[in-house]
Formats: sequence, C-alpha cells, structure tokens
Amino acid sequence: MAEHVILFTGPMGAGKTTAIRAVSEIAVVSTEASNSERHLVDKPTTTVALDYGEILVDGEEKIRLYGIPGQRRFDFMWAILKRRAQGMILLVNNDAPDPVAEMLAYLDDFRELYDRGGVVVGISRSDIAPEPTLATYADAIALAHAGKVVPVFTVDPRNNDDMRMVLLALIANIEMRALFATVERDAI
Amino acid sequence: MATEWNQAGEDSAAGTDEISATAITSEPPTTAGWEQAAVAVNSVLQLSIPMLMKMEFDAHDPLFIDFRYRAFAWSTPLSAFPEDAVLAGLQTQPTDLEAGLLFDLPGQPLDGLLWLIGLNSFHGARAPWLAPNERYKLSRWPNLTQHRHTMRQMQMLAVLGNAYVSAGELADTAGVDNSEAQSLINALSLLRILKRSVQAPAAVVAAPQVTKRESLFSRLRARLGR
Amino acid sequence: MNAAVHRNPAVISAASLILDEMKSVSSSLDYAALLTDDGFDIARLPGETDGARFASMASSMQALGDAVTHELKIGDSEYIIIASAKGYVVQLRVPSHPMVLSALFDNDATVGSALAIARSFVQKMATLLTETASREPEMTSPDSGKNL
Repeated sequence: MAEHVILFTGPMGAGKTTAIRAVSEIAVVSTEASNSERHLVDKPTTTVALDYGEILVDGEEKIRLYGIPGQRRFDFMWAILKRRAQGMILLVNNDAPDPVAEMLAYLDDFRELYDRGGVVVGISRSDIAPEPTLATYADAIALAHAGKVVPVFTVDPRNNDDMRMVLLALIANIEMRALFATVERDAI
Repeated sequence: MATEWNQAGEDSAAGTDEISATAITSEPPTTAGWEQAAVAVNSVLQLSIPMLMKMEFDAHDPLFIDFRYRAFAWSTPLSAFPEDAVLAGLQTQPTDLEAGLLFDLPGQPLDGLLWLIGLNSFHGARAPWLAPNERYKLSRWPNLTQHRHTMRQMQMLAVLGNAYVSAGELADTAGVDNSEAQSLINALSLLRILKRSVQAPAAVVAAPQVTKRESLFSRLRARLGR
Repeated sequence: MNAAVHRNPAVISAASLILDEMKSVSSSLDYAALLTDDGFDIARLPGETDGARFASMASSMQALGDAVTHELKIGDSEYIIIASAKGYVVQLRVPSHPMVLSALFDNDATVGSALAIARSFVQKMATLLTETASREPEMTSPDSGKNL
C-alpha cells in the first residue's frame, strides 16, 4: 500500500490534535496527559508523544497524519516523526503573544520538511485576534526564506472543511513543487 | 472637508443626483458585468491614495468601498454574488485618513470582493491592465478558507506558487481551459498577490510520470468528495 | 490555579524521600526519576543529573504504552520494561496521581525483583502524597497560589 505521511506541527494549544480529529477517518490515537502547567496554557491535557490519524484514499493508498507534541521538551519526538513525513501543516494561534515568531521557529525546526516537501500554515483564532494579518505572515516567510511561497490560511481546526482544504492545498503544493523541482535537481 | 455619500438606506430611491457635489469621477452605465468595476478598482489600487467608491446597480443596493480600510459594505452577500449584475453608476472620490467613515467598520474584507470581481470580469480574456507575453508567479496565496474556489483553481494556485507561467502554460500544466487560467490570473492580479515578469523564462516541467491523472491530489480530492 | 505540581516543595520532598529509600534497598538502582504525566521532572537520583530530557521521554513512553494497550483493548498499561545489554528500565504509574516512576537497574537485579521494588515504591509514593495533601490541603486545592 502506498503511504504518505503528513505532520501537524505548531506550538501547544494551536489546535493540532483537534485538526487531526477533524480530518481523520479512523478514531485518532492520542497520547494525552494531564497538563501540569494550566496556569500557562489553559487546557486540561496536552499531547506527550503523538497523535495519529489516517485517511484511506482508496484501497491502495493511505495518508498517515501525525501530530507532534507542541512543547520543545519533546523535540526528540519531532526528530522521530520528521523522518517519516513528506509535508507538514503548521498551526499557530493568532492570539498568542508572538505567533509570527513561533511560526518562523517551527519552520526552522522542521526545515527539512520545508525543503523536502511542503508546508501549509494555518492561523487559528483570527476571528478573536484579527492581527497579525496573513500578509504579515507571508512577508515574514518571504524575508526568512526568499523565493519560497508558503500557503497561509486562516483556519478553524475544528472545521472539517477547513482542514480538508488545507490538506488538499498541501498535497497540491508538494506535487507541483516536485514537478518543477525534479528537472533542476537532475541538471546539477 | 469630510464629504460622504449618504448611506444606502437613506438614498435608495435616488440616483446619482443626491451624491455629494465633490464626487470626482462618474462613469456612465454600460452593459451587464463587472468589467468596468474591475478597471475602476484596479485604477484606484494603482493610485494607492485614500479613496472611496460607490457602485450602483439596476437590481441591487449600492456597494460602497472604503479603500483606506480595505473594506466594503453591501447588502447583497458574496455567497449570492450576481455575476451578471448591471452596473448603473460608478463614482470614485478621494478622501483622507481623518475624514469620516463611509460605513461602520469593520465592514467586509475587500479581498473577498476583489476575488469575485476578478474572476467574473472579462469572461476569460486578459484583463486590460495586464500585458501579453508576461509570466506570473504568486507572491502569496489567497486565503482559500474565505474564498469560494474550485479544486481546479487550487491546482492552478499550486502551479503559480512554484513557477513563473503564462496563462497558456498555466492552463496546460493544470489541465484547464485558457479562459479559466486567465480568469484566475485576473483575480490574483486584482488582489495584488501576483508577480509579473517578461524576463522569466518558461519553467521546465518534469517528464509526464507525474501527471494530473495519477496525482495524489486528484485521488484525494475524489475521496473527500470535491 | 494550582501552581505546577513539579515545583511544589512538598511534592519534591516526598519524591526525593521515596527515591532515597528506594536506593537504600536496591544497590542495583542506577538511576530513578519521578515525573509528572506530561513529562516534567520532579526529583531524580542521582540528584545532580539533568533529568529534564529523560522525564519528557519517560512520559512519552508511558503514553505510548497506554496507547498500545488501549488499541489492543487490554486495559491500561501496568508497567513498561525496556531491556538492554547493560540494564533495564522499569516504568510505572503512581496510583491515583498523575505521576510516573521510571527506574534504571543494572543486570545484577532480576527483572522480577526490580519490578517488585518499583511497585512497592509507587505505592509508598501514593500514600505519602495523600498524607502530605491532608497536612497541606492547599497543595491540591484550586487556590494553592495563596500563601500558606
């Protein structure tokens, strides 16, 4: 069976587990533990290893969806999961103190995925916090990574349609990038 | 000197007579469709000075745009966007940042309107502000969660995000009609998220083993029912 | 809001006490840590080591162990053993508390005895925590941020 692996990344509380639950066709395997730092991020639980979901494309093909634990202290899990993935959906909350900086940090941490495959950025809670704007995110990416155009959308991680659209945009982007990049690589 | 058009509710029965005497430009009515509006909006965006715009229609309430805030106000929802609306009048008026509001903010985000005007003007022909022999590449993606779009458009955006292509090349790579490709280019140009180049060479595309027919995108799209 | 459990001095003392006692009954114990469910280090032995990374990893292991047993529909995972040439890690939850004990024994101990020790000490930890909580109710009440 042909398999594709997509990673959901981003800081704690951005909605990764929620997003995977919205698109997965199987019951999501999650690894939630009681949150010791409720005074910092007000959620009862937090992911400590990974989330796992699937979409069965047809009988012969499957997309595996992995969600990382957002906190940096689990970066050994990031290393494990990064190796397997072809692309990633990076979620950030627009009402965080510095979501643009967080986005850039995760793009850096997952640079290989960004280089190798594709990234789509999803901005959640923009209805609560309308700034920074999408243009700000896009400008920050252009500044840090010249020449790369990364789709940035406002999303609601709970919304099935939003998350499916994001997944489709990611795959379309990965495939088109491969289409145009292959010949360049051969030419070197 | 704050000069403002009356709100739609107050002058619904009147035509252009009741508009402030300091309105600068006034276009005569033309045929159905959005071409004239598209050209006017593009010109205003080109100027980058604070402007207001009012469009009047045969069968709809007036549409107001306040370019200072990239917002518009219209009683017709974009989900019911009338592709063949008959424009009865169009006025633009310079303003300044201190002048009063044309309508209560935040209004609706202008991008949503630009997307639809861009897609629905010129019937698949090149917008007049674009030149022949140009290639295009996205500077950033439109916010697809907020714009009704097709999967063919998403496919085209993926092309435009990764290479400089002409309308014809875009159509070929994405497997769509020229007119669909051109309409999207028109819309993206109005949204000001398209880079234009006459120097960029034709992008080289890999051998056809990665064809649209076999792509994961098309299979996933079928699976997700789009 | 509760202050973080792993920074609560009463909890840290209890944890250190337990680990010291554990070391005193098992000379094969090379390393042991008590950690929160979500991977924060509470106390470790030897004390000078940096337990942060190990605590995160142990919590991931614990959660994955549970994920496997739930997937197989065989209940919660009771303990996890990782065996290697130079020793093995035994890991299990502290009953009724969001905490895990993870301990490295060298090969002088048998798996069975290591497990027995670990089990008895998580029980002691649970009892000690309950006693500590009853002496200092602020520890687990919603208003533990207030001064004692």
